[in-house]
Amino acid sequence: MSKIDRWNEKIWNFFASVDLAIALFIIISIGAAIGTIIPQQTDPEAIVRFFSKFLPPVSAMKAYEIVNLLDLNNLYHSWWFTFLLFMFALNLIVCSTDRLPSLLKSFKTSSHPLPAQVLEKMPIKKKIDNIQPNILDKINGILKNKGFSIHVFETQEGIQIQAQKWSKTRLAVYLTHLSILIILVGTLMGTFWGFRGSMNIVEGTGLNFAISDSGKAIPLDFEVRCDKFEAEYYENSSIPKAYRSYIRILENGQVIKFDNKENVIIEVNQPFSYKGITFYQASYGFQPSEHAEFRFTYFDKTGKEHKINARFEEKFNIPGTSAIASVIDFSPALGIDEQGKLFNMDTNMINPAVLVQFDDKGKKTEQWILTRIPETWVTPYGKLKFNELWGAQFTGLQIRKDPGIPLIYIGSIFLCIGLFISLFLRPITLFVTISKDNLIFYCPSSKTSLIIEKQINEIINKLKGENI
Amino acid sequence: MSYQTISIAGLLYILAMPIYIVYVLTKNNKVGYIATATLSFGALIHIYGFIQRFKEMYAINHSIMRSIPITNLYESLIFFVLCLIVGYLFIEWKYKKKSFGVFISIVAGITIGLTDLLGISKEVQPLVPALKSNWLLAHVTLSFISYAAFGISFITGLLHVIMESQDKKSFKYIFSTTLLGFMLFMFISVIIDIITASNPKTVKIFHSTIGNPSVFISIISWMILIFLIFITWKFGHILNKILNSFKIDSNFLEDITYKGIAFGFPIFTIGGLVFGAIWADQAWGRYWGWDPKETWSLITWFVYAFYFHAKFIRGWRGTKTSMIAVVGFIVTIFTYLGVNLFLSGLHSYGSM
Repeated sequence: MSKIDRWNEKIWNFFASVDLAIALFIIISIGAAIGTIIPQQTDPEAIVRFFSKFLPPVSAMKAYEIVNLLDLNNLYHSWWFTFLLFMFALNLIVCSTDRLPSLLKSFKTSSHPLPAQVLEKMPIKKKIDNIQPNILDKINGILKNKGFSIHVFETQEGIQIQAQKWSKTRLAVYLTHLSILIILVGTLMGTFWGFRGSMNIVEGTGLNFAISDSGKAIPLDFEVRCDKFEAEYYENSSIPKAYRSYIRILENGQVIKFDNKENVIIEVNQPFSYKGITFYQASYGFQPSEHAEFRFTYFDKTGKEHKINARFEEKFNIPGTSAIASVIDFSPALGIDEQGKLFNMDTNMINPAVLVQFDDKGKKTEQWILTRIPETWVTPYGKLKFNELWGAQFTGLQIRKDPGIPLIYIGSIFLCIGLFISLFLRPITLFVTISKDNLIFYCPSSKTSLIIEKQINEIINKLKGENI
Repeated sequence: MSYQTISIAGLLYILAMPIYIVYVLTKNNKVGYIATATLSFGALIHIYGFIQRFKEMYAINHSIMRSIPITNLYESLIFFVLCLIVGYLFIEWKYKKKSFGVFISIVAGITIGLTDLLGISKEVQPLVPALKSNWLLAHVTLSFISYAAFGISFITGLLHVIMESQDKKSFKYIFSTTLLGFMLFMFISVIIDIITASNPKTVKIFHSTIGNPSVFISIISWMILIFLIFITWKFGHILNKILNSFKIDSNFLEDITYKGIAFGFPIFTIGGLVFGAIWADQAWGRYWGWDPKETWSLITWFVYAFYFHAKFIRGWRGTKTSMIAVVGFIVTIFTYLGVNLFLSGLHSYGSM
C-alpha cells in the first residue's frame, strides 16, 4: 500500500465517521445559536449597542472586532458556516457510500445457521414444551402469514428457523440522508439562480422593476400595475383583517389575461406567479400621489346612484340640487380625543373621513363624512357616501424567483417518508429452534423488544389455538 | 368564558399530583384510580373548554378551519398540556403502569401556571392576515403533538438518569436532580404566585418566592429552593426503590423515552419544519430565513438526530442517551418559549 493510498483511506475514514457527523451536529447548532443572539445584518452601531448592554465600552468594541472578523453579524452566509454545511453534506455523501454497499450485500448473501451458544446469549427467549410432530409446518405457516421471510436449517441440535420482517426498511435511512442532500442542492440553486426583491406600487401606477435586498434594481420584462389596493380592519381596532392588491400584468403594452380575467388578486398567503416569478403581498402604506381622487356615491331623492370622483379642493356639483361641494380636509383614521377634538389616529386608512364643504348660493356648510359610519352620509343635500381615497396607498409586494423550490418540496417529502419508515417499521429478526421436546424463540435485539415480545406472544397463542 | 373552563381543568391537573404521591406512598389501588380519574376528568373538562373556545372564535371568524384555538401563545401552551395529559393517559392505559403521573402533573401544572404568569393575553383574538392559512392548523397542531411526545420522553429520561446513576457526584446525576428539584420548587411557586396575585394582569413569575420585593421572603425562598434541590440529590436513589416496587425498571423508562422521541421526531420534522417552511414560502416567499425560531427548531432537530445516531450507530446505552432526551426537551422549551421571551422574530403569536 503506497503512502498516497494510506492518506486517501485516512481522509475517507474521517469523512465516513459518525463521530464527524455528531461533531458537526454540535458545532453547527452552537454556531446557529450564536446567530440568533447577535443581531444579524445590521449596521455596526447596533452591534456595539448590543454588546454595551452587558460589557464595558472598551470590551464592546473588542467584541465588535471579533464579530467583524468572523462575520458573526452575517453568520448564516459567512464563509465558515457555509464551510460547515458543506462538510455536513460531504460527510453525508461519504457516510452513505461507505455503508450502503455492505447493507445491499447483506440482502443478497444467503444466511447460515447460528451456533447454539450465540443464540443462548440473546436477550429475549421464550420456550414452549410438549410440542407436536407437525409443529414445523404450522410455525412456518404462521410466520409467513405475519409477513416474515423464512430460512430453515438442519443443525445438530435440531431445526433452526431464521425469520426476518421489514429488513429492507434499513434502506429508509439512506432515503432520509439523500433527501437532506436534495434539500441542500435546492437551496444552492436558489442562491445561484434565484433572486428576491420588493416593489412598492402606488394605486393607479405600474412598475417594471423591483429592488433587491441589497438595493439593486431588478428589471422585469413586463409591467406590474396596481389598479386598486384595499385593506380591511377589525371593528374598532387597527388590526388588519385582510389586505389585497388588484394587479394587472402588461407585456409590450398588452394586458395579459389569466383565466380570461385581466385582474389578478394578490393576498397574504395567496401569492401569484408569472414567468417563474412569484409575487407576495407583504406590506402597504399611505402615500398620496398627484392623481389621487376622492370617490363618492350620491343617492338622489329617487334612490338613483351617481358616482362622483373629485380631487382635493376640486369643486363638484351635487346632482339635482344647486349645491356645489368640495373636499377641504381628509383623515385616514379619524378619532375623537377626550376634549372632543378630532385627530388622526393612524396613517393607515383604518377609518377614512373627509370634510366636505357645501356651497349653496353662497350659504356655506361643512360636514365630516366617514366611510364606516352610515349616519354621517346624510347631508342637507341628500345622502352622500364617501367610498375611498383612491391613489393614496401603495402596495408592498415581495417578489421571488427560485428554481430550487421543486427540489425543496421533493426533498421534504422524501425526508418525511424516510423518517416514518425508518422509525415506525424497524426490522424484526427472530430465531426459532425446534428440538425433540421443545420449541424456543430467540431475538437478538432489545431495541424493539416490546413489539417483538408481542409478536412472539401472538405466534404462541396461534400455535396453542391450533393445538387444541 | 372558555379560559375559565380551562383553568378548572388546570386545577384538576395540579390536584392530581398530591393524589399520585399518596398513591405512590400507600400503594393503595383505589387512590391510584382516583388519581387517574382526576387527570382524565381534567382532560374531559379541558376538551369541553377547547370546544367552547372554538365556538367563541367561530363567532368572530365564521370559518371552521380558522377557529381551531391554537392561534396564540396561550392557546398553544394549553394545547400542549392537553396533548401531554392525553399521551400520558394512553401510556398508563397501555402499559398498566401508573408510574410517573406525579411528574406529568408537575409539568402540566407549571405550564398552566405559566399562562397566568407571563402576562399572556387569554382573550380570543381576531386573526391577522398572515395567520389566515390552513397551514396554521397543520403546522401548529403537529408541532405541539411532537412537543408533548418530547415532554413525556423528557420525564422518563430524567427518571431514568436519576434511577440508574450509581455515582452521586457524577454530572448526570447532579444535573438531573437539580432540574427535578427546581421543577418541584417551580410547581409550588407557581401555585403560590397565582393564589397571591393581586392583579392577574401584571403578575410576574416567582413574584411570591425568589422574585419577591421583600428581601427576607426572597432569601427564604432561595434557601427552600436549594434545600429542595439538596433533598432531591440526597434521596434520589429512593426513587429507584419506589419505582421498582411498581415494576418500573430502567428498561421500561428507556423504552418509553425512545418511543416518545421516535414518535415525536418524524411528526416534528413534518409538522414543525416542513409545514412551517411551506407556510413561510406561501406567506413571505421564503421557506427558510434563519429567523430565531426557525433556527432553534433546527437545533432541536439536530439534538434529536444526535440521539438516534448515538443510540443506533454509536451503540450508546442507558443513561447517556436519556441525557440527550433531557437536553433535547430543554432546547425544545427554549425554541417554544425562550425565543419569544428573549429573542425577536416573526413568531410573535400576536402579542405577549
